[in-house]
Order: sequence, then structure tokens, then C-alpha cells
Amino acid sequence: MRGRLRQAAWAVLAILVAVILTQSTWWDTNQTVFAQALVSGLLIGGVYALVAMGLSLVFGVLDIINFAHGALMTIAIYASYLLFDNYGIDPYVSLLITIPLLFVIGVGIQRFAINPVMDAPIHNQLLLTLGIAIVIENLALVLFTGTPRSIELAYARNEFDLGLFTLDFPIKVFGAVVSLPKLIAFMVALLLGGAIYVLIHRTQLGAAIRAAAQEPEGAEMVGIDVRRIYTITFGIGAACVGAAGALVMPFLFVSPTAGATFNIIAFIVVVLGGMGSIPGAVVGGLVIGLTQEMTQIFVPGSSKLLGVFVIFLAVLLFRPQGLFGKVQR
Amino acid sequence: MRKITIYLSLLLSLALIATACVSDSEETTTTTAATASPDTTQPDTPDTPDTTQPDTPDTTEGTIAPAGPVLIGSIHPLTGGLAGAGNRMDNGARMAVEEINAAGGIASLGGAPLELVSADSTGAAEVGQSEAERLIGDGVSAIIGTYQSAVTTLVAAIAERDGVPLVIDVAVADSILDQGYTNVFRIQPNATSMGASGAQFLSELAGDEIKTVAYLHDDTGFGVSVADAFEAAAADYGIEVTARIPYPPFEVTDLTTEMSQAAAVSPDVIVITGYYNDGLLAARAATDLEVDVKAVIGIAQGAFHTPQFVADFGASAELFFNSNYHFNASDPVVQGILERFEAAYGEPMDTEAMLSYQAIHVIADALERAGSSDPADVRAALAETNLADHFMAYPGPIAFDETGENISAQPVLMQVVDGAVQQVYPLDLRETDPVFPGTAWSNN
Repeated sequence: MRGRLRQAAWAVLAILVAVILTQSTWWDTNQTVFAQALVSGLLIGGVYALVAMGLSLVFGVLDIINFAHGALMTIAIYASYLLFDNYGIDPYVSLLITIPLLFVIGVGIQRFAINPVMDAPIHNQLLLTLGIAIVIENLALVLFTGTPRSIELAYARNEFDLGLFTLDFPIKVFGAVVSLPKLIAFMVALLLGGAIYVLIHRTQLGAAIRAAAQEPEGAEMVGIDVRRIYTITFGIGAACVGAAGALVMPFLFVSPTAGATFNIIAFIVVVLGGMGSIPGAVVGGLVIGLTQEMTQIFVPGSSKLLGVFVIFLAVLLFRPQGLFGKVQR
Repeated sequence: MRKITIYLSLLLSLALIATACVSDSEETTTTTAATASPDTTQPDTPDTPDTTQPDTPDTTEGTIAPAGPVLIGSIHPLTGGLAGAGNRMDNGARMAVEEINAAGGIASLGGAPLELVSADSTGAAEVGQSEAERLIGDGVSAIIGTYQSAVTTLVAAIAERDGVPLVIDVAVADSILDQGYTNVFRIQPNATSMGASGAQFLSELAGDEIKTVAYLHDDTGFGVSVADAFEAAAADYGIEVTARIPYPPFEVTDLTTEMSQAAAVSPDVIVITGYYNDGLLAARAATDLEVDVKAVIGIAQGAFHTPQFVADFGASAELFFNSNYHFNASDPVVQGILERFEAAYGEPMDTEAMLSYQAIHVIADALERAGSSDPADVRAALAETNLADHFMAYPGPIAFDETGENISAQPVLMQVVDGAVQQVYPLDLRETDPVFPGTAWSNN
């Protein structure tokens, strides 16, 4: 599997270099654009990774395709916005509230809505989560109207004296601009991704989750309450978008469909990275973020998602288990 | 086997979502419209008397004694990504209806009140179409809508087929009225007028200081038609569009790369056409990149002329231009409407909502002159409209030419100056002198 991954990476790199060298006049005028696409792609890719991680975890453990994932993110976006707007709570401080809040909401959804239909055919669960998404989106519409809102962080365009050096945000890297909210979102997203990896692979709860994912009956036999593990896992999945929602709020806008934009991307990231794989979600998120921005500059006039869908199809055709997925029996 | 089913269902659902998104684009709608309209005229003719039948007794009654309410349909995107503007527009129409009723209804119909029947297009053309059919089935005398060119194209086809007048409050594409329709009227300027006036304002603003333009626009029929019209008209003023960067307005979460593409061709100004959310992202990207241009100018841009943009974006909103339709901000009557709207709905009224408010008044005026709520009579009266006391920043009265375009419709160039959206062109509507060249980041 490693070999294949490396081959794929080399192939992509070779194509990129070839394209750049053959179009060197292009390169002269567009280095900053290229640098910007690279930076923007990586930064948003970090957020995609975090959103996809939650989806991947729920799919890997519960075998449920959660269409309400984006809508849950919308809840977090609104929560973070309302905390800022009403109480002046900094969006990054509000992480301490949105993450537990979404965990609780996720637990509630799993316990009262999804657990009862765990044994039903997969399309029942799929429709159920789709229904939850529609309810959440329209509830937001009723409560907050469709008017998009947004905030500007007072310190987003500011100088930070870090002792050794000062950072004047938005900072420039090879002509590409790195805005503070996006940089924070990227770094916190990857940090939380690491924390979830540790949780799943280094703790007892994680061991129970992995056991419930691989062999539910076996796990049940050794005394693991699988239903409870399912509930907790869904809670963790929702907590991922709880974090992601608060992280994107300062540079996105707040509207009932704001989270849904991330839903479809997260699905593709999960398929690319491999269902249930956390490193897969991270690599997939970054690859999709980059692909999206590269499509924008190399395939003018197309939707940004064109390249993303091409990758999606290629993965389904040539590596249906995803980059980090295990081959199914 | 189970896995295959999962992949398949996932793929199918994705496809479903993807097609739902695509349905916003002009291409799909024009083809549907093309296939729909010739088909439908023939078999539906027997239907038409059916729908008008229930109205006829109404109108005869109306002339004798105070009749039942006159129904007016209102189709806007009340849910989905455009729900913000859609709901404000619906509220604007509702407020107009309530005020007209409070003032005694339609006098020539014995004081008959108006009743607004709201419908949700969800932003999708085919939903708008079926909602239009439903409203006509309910017996509306006229329809207003719909905010999107793609949706309006299909609604207009239905209105024409069933002979119920459609008054377009917002929808820009020229093609809607290119079909030779007799039942469709538009209050706002069309794409050609938007693009041409935009180019004219640019040359008036800067003389020959603006030679090259990088154009960032949404890739739906709205953005493409305005950008095409601008590019054609700009050539006459010696202004060249050196880069066009389309983007999907409902999918983007960031426009920094697109903005750096625009800046890469070193244009004199960057021009943007699109909706609110993407406009905000574009403004943010331009500010982050501190693009080295003489100005950032919206043409028919959904954000830069709204009070909300100034509230959202704070000091960074300063000096953004927008050439767009605008209410007549200096008219005390209009100021009264703005105050009442904000008091009633808790948010500032934008021009889109004012256009819906205006559309109801145009219809009320036609009803008053027609003395009938029969759609055919209302249509005839609408064609004769000559409404001088309107609320828009137009040079003359609202009146429709034979294609249904408002002959007085024109956009206004606005700029955010001193924390408020102010009119700068044409000269007779000027509230303040424009700051050019100028951007918030270069003038600090």
C-alpha cells in the first residue's frame, strides 16, 4: 500500500513539474497565483480534514453515512457566532463550548434517532440523517432568517510581537497571503486531528471503539456495550464539526447552508482517504483542498469541484478502498 | 456486496446533490424552457379558460360591492443559500400589501384588499416553475419575482402561457424578455443596461485612467450575462477586459486564489459581479491581498451597496464601488419606507426588498386603472403604466416598452464613503464626491 501511495505521489509531482516547465512564461507571470493556490488549498484542506475525520469515524464504526454532518457544522457556526455577537466571546474561546455542545447533540441524535434504526437497511439510516439535516437547516432559517452574517476579528489584521520576530498579519509567503483566521483554523484542525488519532489508537475507549468497528459481536462478548460505543463515537464525530464550525466562522459567513458546503467535500475526502481512516482523512483533506485550488488556476472556467470529482471517480475506479483503506475481503 | 451498495448509494446521492446545485445555472434552464414553451402552448390552451373562469365572477362582483381580496403571487428563494435576500424581498412585498390595505385597498374595486400569496422557489428553477403553476391555479391576478434569472426564465414562460402578468422585481438576464412575451414586465435594469452603464460610469469616473479590467464574476447566467454586456460596452470607452475569472457562487468558501489570479494581470481596476456571500469573500480576499489596483468596483454586485456589507465588513468596506439598482435614497418618502421596514422586520431594507415593494405598487396602480382583477385586464393596464411617484433612483417614470422593459431603469454608481453607501453617479443623484483612485488599503 505504501508503494502505491508513493507511486501516486510521484506521478502527481511529475505531472505538475512537467506542466510548469512547459509553460515557463506562464510561470513567470503566475508564481504568486500558484503560491496562493498552494497556500489556500493547504489551509482550507486542514479544515476539510477535520470535518472529514468526524464523518469517517462515524462511517468506519457505525457503518452510517451521516448526511447531517454539514448541518451539525451549521449549528456550531451559529453557536460560535451567537456567543461572539451576544457575549463578545472570542470564536477560538468558543471552541470550549461548541465542541462539548456538538458532542452532546451528537450523542442525543445517535441515542434517540439513529440507535433505534441501527439494524434497518442502510438507506433508512441515510434518509434519516438527510431528514435531520433538513430539519436543522430549516430550524436555523426560522430562528435566524436566511440573512447571511459575518464577523471581522479585530486582531485579524494586526502585528504580533513574538519576541524573536514580529508577524504582521495577513503575512505574505512568496507573494501568497496567509490570513490569521485561516492559519489558526489549519493549525487547530490538525492538532485536534492528532488528538483524535491518539484517542482512537492509544486509549482504552479507542480500543473499544476499534473493537466495536471491527467485530461488533465479538466486542459485545468481551463486555463492551456496543450501543454505548456507537453513541460516543457519533458524539465524537459531531464534536469534530463542533470544532470546525467555530474555526471557519471568522473567515466564512454564517447562514443556514454554510455547513452544507463542507458536506459534499467531506464525503469525497472520506472516499479518497479510506473509510474510517484518520490519517486518510488528513491526507485526503489536504489533497482535495489543493486539487480544488489547482483546478481553479489550471482549468479556467470550470467549477472548482471539477478536479475534485475527477479524483473521486479515479479513486472509485482504481482504489475503491481509498488511499489508507484496507481491502475488503 | 454491502460495500458496493454503499458506494453506489453514496455516488447516487452525490449525483443528486450535484444536479440540484447545477440547476441554478442558466444553461439547464434555457434548454428546459425551450422544450417547455412550444410543447405547452398547444395542449394547455383548453386549460386557460379553466383558470380564468373562477376569476370572472369575482371581478363582476368587485365592481358592485367590496369584493374578496385580489391575490398577488410572490415567488422568491425563501430557503437555501439565497434565503436572506429572498425573505427580505417577500417582506418588502408584504409590507406594501399591508400598507395599501390599511389605506383602503383598491378604490376602483370597491376597496378590495390585496392578499399576498408567498411561494418558495428554493433557488431552483423547476421549483419556481411548479410554484408559479400552483399560484396561477390559486387564481392570482399577477405574480412578482423571483431574484434569479434562471428561475425567472421558467416562471416567465408559465406566466406567458397562462396569460397571468409577471412583474419582475429582480432578475437581470436580457434573454427573459427576448422571447416576445406580452405578459412579462421588468422594473430593474437588464444585463445590457447594467454592463453598459457600468462601463460608462467607469469612464466618467476616471477619464482614461482605466484601460484594463480584470473581471471576477459568478458563473451562473447572472454573472456571465452582465460580464458579457460590460465587456462589449467597455470596448467603446477604450477599456479592455484582460482577464475573466468565473467562480461557482454557491460552492465557494474562499476567493483568495481567484482574487490573486485577477491581480496577476496587473489591471487598473478589478470588477466583480455576483451575490452577497461571494461578494463578501471577494472583498475579504482583496483586502487580505491588498491588491494593487486603482479601485475595486462591483457591477450588479449583491453586496457592496448594502448597509449590511458596511455593518459586516466594518472599516474594511470603505471605498468599495458598486454600480447597481438603487432606491432613491434622497426621497423622504423612501426614507419613511426604509424606517418602517427596519422597525417591522428588524433588519435594514436593501434595494432588492425595495424592488419587491415597488412591484406591488406597480401592480396596485394597474389594478386601480383596470378596475378589474382579471389577469388579462391587469396585463393591459400594466402595459400602459406611467408611474411617476416611484421609489427608485431612475431618471423618469416607470413605463414599459413593448418588450416589457422599464424604459427608465438605470443603475447608480455607489461608493462606501465615511462608513455609508453613498450615490456618486449620475451627477444629479450624487450624494458625495467619489474617492478615486482609492482602496481602503492604499489610502491609509
